[in-house]
Amino acid sequence: MMRKQITHFFVLSCKKATELIEKRSIISLSLIEKIQLNLHKSICDACTTYEKQSQKLDDILKAQIASEKAAEENPLKNEELKERMLKKIQK
Amino acid sequence: MDSPIQTTSPSETLRQWIIDYSDALYTRAFYKTSNKETAEDLVQDTFFAALEAIPKFEFKSQPKTWLISILNNKIAEYYRKAYKGALQPESRQGFRNVFDIYFDENEEWQKDQQPTEWQIEQSNLLDDEGFLRTLQNCMNKLPEAWSAAIQLKYLEEKKGEIICQELKLSSTNFWQILHRAKLQLRKCLELNWFNLDL
Repeated sequence: MMRKQITHFFVLSCKKATELIEKRSIISLSLIEKIQLNLHKSICDACTTYEKQSQKLDDILKAQIASEKAAEENPLKNEELKERMLKKIQK
Repeated sequence: MDSPIQTTSPSETLRQWIIDYSDALYTRAFYKTSNKETAEDLVQDTFFAALEAIPKFEFKSQPKTWLISILNNKIAEYYRKAYKGALQPESRQGFRNVFDIYFDENEEWQKDQQPTEWQIEQSNLLDDEGFLRTLQNCMNKLPEAWSAAIQLKYLEEKKGEIICQELKLSSTNFWQILHRAKLQLRKCLELNWFNLDL
């Protein structure tokens, strides 16, 4: 157990490494976390690939959630909602 | 007797704004939440919040811009609530620990779950309606708190630290929820889009 903990300080588990990849996309990592992550990626192809794909997903999600395209191309009407609200504010 | 300067009452102003802008606000709310009832509630909340605040509105900015900024706050509030509500212990039961699917007891990737290069390299994914549908389906499959976390991450142009502070309520950090969400979303898109032909 102890040995595993020591090994994991130097070389993160894949679970922890992928967690740090996600954490880094929100807040900055500590120096130790940065070193741990880079060390892990240098010996782990799967997590390096995960990182690349995760960043690609970030780009997609960011563009998609910020996108106004659908709203501009297909604006909606809701007369019923309008009527309902107008009725409510009648004095 | 009419006063020499004709002033409009807040409720008259609001009536005009509802007539002019409710469709625009509804459109925005609908595309941000993908749900008719939610969008309607958010638009109503926005106009009623506006009614209270009209005396303070100085007509320096466009009413539409001002209303949209109120709506944006309401949308973020909606997702914060969804995130927090779905993190309560009683609603957490029922979904398996996602980590068991991907990682073994040593926290290394399960053999058959290791990420490998995707087959499809496509640059204009967001113009592809098939992809957008797949993305939406995969988002819909996520537990509510997880998709809310993803929305919150990109919805507001806020620093991550601020989002984390606003959401702090349990030992589970915001990015730990995002981690689970991303693992699932990544897998779903891999199976249904990027490596579909495998």
